[in-house]
Amino acid sequence: MSKRDAPEHDETRGLTRRGLFRSIGAATLVAGCTTDDPSVHPEQAPTPDVDGAIGLTPTPLEFVLDGQPQKLEVEARTTLLDLLRLDLDRTGTKVVCDRGACGACMVLVDEVPRNSCMLLALDVAGASITTVAGLGKSSQLSALQLAFVEHDAMQCGFCTSGMLISSSALLRRSAGQPLERAQVEDAIAGNLCRCGTYPHVVDAVLSVANGPGAARRGSELLRAKKGGA
Amino acid sequence: MPDKTKLSVGYGANIQTISVELPPSEPRPWDSVDEMTVVGTPLPRIDGPLKASGEARYTHDITLEGLLHAAVLRSPWPCAVVKRIDVTPATKQPGVGAAIALVEVGDKLIFAGQDVAAVAASRPELARAALASIIVEYEPAPFVVATRDAMRDGSPQVHDAAVEERRTGADEPGAAEAQGKLQGNVRPGRSQKRGDAKRALNKAPVRFEATYTTQCHTHSALETHGLVVQWFGKKTVTVWASTQSIFGVRDEFAALYGLEPSKVHVITNFMGGGFGSKFGANASGTALAKIAGDLARAADKPVKLMLERGEEHLCTGNRPDSIQLVKLGATDKGKLTAIHVQAHGSAGVGTGAGVGRNAASVYTKVPDVLVESADVFTHAGPAVAFRAPGHPQGAFAMESALDELARQLGMDPIDLRLAHDNHPVRRWQLELGRERFNWDARRKAAADMRARSTRIRKGVGCAVSIWGDFGGTEARVTIEISRDGRVVVKNGVQDIGGGIGTIMAQVTAEVLRRPVETIEIQIGDSKLGPGVGSGGSKTTSSITPAVRNAAELAKAELAELATTALAATSTKHLRWTAEGVSVGRQTMSWADLCKRIEGEAIVAVGFRGRNAAAHPKSFPGFETPEIAGVQFAEVEIDTWTGEVRCTELLAVHDCGRVMNELTLRSQINGGIILGIGYALMEERVMDPSLGVMLNANLEQYKACGVKDVPDISIVLTEVISGNNSTGAYGIGEPATIPTAAAIANAVGDALGVHVRSLPITPAKILDALEQQRRASQEGAK
Repeated sequence: MSKRDAPEHDETRGLTRRGLFRSIGAATLVAGCTTDDPSVHPEQAPTPDVDGAIGLTPTPLEFVLDGQPQKLEVEARTTLLDLLRLDLDRTGTKVVCDRGACGACMVLVDEVPRNSCMLLALDVAGASITTVAGLGKSSQLSALQLAFVEHDAMQCGFCTSGMLISSSALLRRSAGQPLERAQVEDAIAGNLCRCGTYPHVVDAVLSVANGPGAARRGSELLRAKKGGA
Repeated sequence: MPDKTKLSVGYGANIQTISVELPPSEPRPWDSVDEMTVVGTPLPRIDGPLKASGEARYTHDITLEGLLHAAVLRSPWPCAVVKRIDVTPATKQPGVGAAIALVEVGDKLIFAGQDVAAVAASRPELARAALASIIVEYEPAPFVVATRDAMRDGSPQVHDAAVEERRTGADEPGAAEAQGKLQGNVRPGRSQKRGDAKRALNKAPVRFEATYTTQCHTHSALETHGLVVQWFGKKTVTVWASTQSIFGVRDEFAALYGLEPSKVHVITNFMGGGFGSKFGANASGTALAKIAGDLARAADKPVKLMLERGEEHLCTGNRPDSIQLVKLGATDKGKLTAIHVQAHGSAGVGTGAGVGRNAASVYTKVPDVLVESADVFTHAGPAVAFRAPGHPQGAFAMESALDELARQLGMDPIDLRLAHDNHPVRRWQLELGRERFNWDARRKAAADMRARSTRIRKGVGCAVSIWGDFGGTEARVTIEISRDGRVVVKNGVQDIGGGIGTIMAQVTAEVLRRPVETIEIQIGDSKLGPGVGSGGSKTTSSITPAVRNAAELAKAELAELATTALAATSTKHLRWTAEGVSVGRQTMSWADLCKRIEGEAIVAVGFRGRNAAAHPKSFPGFETPEIAGVQFAEVEIDTWTGEVRCTELLAVHDCGRVMNELTLRSQINGGIILGIGYALMEERVMDPSLGVMLNANLEQYKACGVKDVPDISIVLTEVISGNNSTGAYGIGEPATIPTAAAIANAVGDALGVHVRSLPITPAKILDALEQQRRASQEGAK
């Protein structure tokens, strides 16, 4: 797996899932093997040692958001998505399904596209997070964002930030190599768009990877004109 | 008596001159002779950079000082009586500002997902947690959620008395109100009639009869329904709403609270999709606005209520299912003599199951037609208009039946359609598609694969659509040209995603000959003047003529100034260019001309005149043009696994004058992709024993992803009708009508047997093949 799982309890990274188990769950897990089976005698189960445990009160968290270091306190239950939208007002990242099925809330976590609704805020301690706002402002769009505008790779626009995150991750991975259509489709397979904008999204990404001539044929307009179209 | 104006109108090379009578205020409509320089160009949408940077603020994204977040407790039972309700425990939970009951003891709840109680708290998770402390006792009652079950005698009755029909601006105009009397759960409703279909069927030498079924389909816009309510005292309020009708929200909100509509300020700067479901302040199955408004009053703080994904499936509307018995009568030479459709559909506890116009209004050469439809009530969330209400389900049944009849008669399906449809544009589209899609060769190849019983089969099919241009006259567009040369266009219309603001800028630029990027567009706010709801595919056809008319009025004032300044003898001698205005060799720049404006600015208000012409054919019962479309699909099927994919799709559509080919293509792609999901994957699954929806999410409710998208080609058959001053129609709805039907017909071509039920899943493919195998064994005996 990625380096996200590597250090279990690094001071700079706050809480990891494994760390959480170790601090509050280990006693319970071990207790299951003793003769005083807590499933039968729950009242006899030893109380977990919560000294130093993280998560019962807001916990310090440090990470980098769109290039800016963040230092704040969050509750253990707060998802990265809620932290971004509710606490940091990064509303370019959208909430749509809130359970990892649609990709609208995607952000880059150390260059890897992840659904921020499926991450706890504390999971990204020490990581570098890029949201759509980090790709470029409206006054200074990146090449990919510009291609999205030029190819009309958006209608209502609610899936757009997630599409941009998935496809920018692909472009970073491919590092200037030409791309096949299928590779782009693989990259955005986790991003749902209800307006059906997919063909233009694929065209936009391909135009950045392979140059402007790469887009697929568009439409044919037969004009109403005397003497023929 | 107003003068007649001559217009050069038509389609393709079929151009003719017609005379129309225009109101005195109306400019001469742009016709096929007018050369456009900005209108029609593929201009990227002007708010694209805001959307691509995440800076666009949707209703979901609104933050206010002291804002509370609301959550709603919903009935877990499909049918139950409330025995006890107590919300006071919720008021004591952390962060809670208000908790309200939405039902009283004794109330009967009739679908799982109905409003029960609501809480507003400082964080969404605190509001949700507080819901758990509300005490409700229910007495469950018998229920029915399957449409066929609900039609049986003795089935639990959903409504005891007459049901009021809830209409919205997204319903098809002219659709008759249901009149029939409730019989059990069935209420007979709309019928469309020509001649005597039953008698003609009895006399027909060839008869075909089959039952087609379609599923319940949910809108699933990515931005869920919701709003933010901020009161200023008791009589004035600001509402941010995710809506496709700002003025619909304003009026319904005002009515709910007895306010002056002008005191309700509605803002929708951006909205994340609606597809017909976001018309009023409340949604079809949940009183969103009342809940948020009451919570905001109770807590004395602004309240945001955004539904969760599950709620969106349960109580904000859907496309009703359908069971359609189609009977066709024909001669043995393939001349259709009768069409009779008996349709039942369930809009849950609501009304509005219909089957559109394919059967009644496309095949006008068929003398005797009867289409009857009825609502069947079930204990499920109420339906609401969904992108071309009634049409996709009706098109699936009618177009399928035609293909099955063609197979029975050994005819080509395109020939059969051409023989009975006299809309000249659709006939042209059918012929164009036959050629572009390589129809004859592909049909032959499909027949060959069938004959060889190959494991992988391919097939092609086509289906047609009918829609009307229903442009409304209610919009008022304001243009301000200031002394500093700025041009601002204002209207309270919302952008549902079609990109109306961009087209408004194009039309203004075209009239004023200004660079399009200098036009400033302000939309999405009820204070910007009356707009239209985005339903019936009428936004562009309603708004752009009003924009043009406003721009023409402003330009006329400028022309007077220019005539004086340049000492011209008449405004007719002025030449307008991107630099400014000139007469002979004298030129005045735009900036200098605008400096001559007296006062701060020229302010002109334009509106759309009534429909002027409907060339070449009007929509049945309307003075507006009939919009034609045909789609051709290819499918590939693995007959061992039943896996079916749509591999290629050709869409041939008429949308009047093409205003922006780029955003137009987006809308057509979207209609097709929605139709593919409807054809092959999407389905609301109800548990018949529990009465609840099993897939109220986006992982088990299967909408199309990028890998489900075929190779799409689009041919636009422009029609210049003289209908309105810009010649725009709409495309949002027509583009999704024929898709599922075309795919079903392609499946029929691939297999040699029709799958009569949507969605066409692998299981249904295997079932159809098995029945075919048994039938051929029977035949061999």
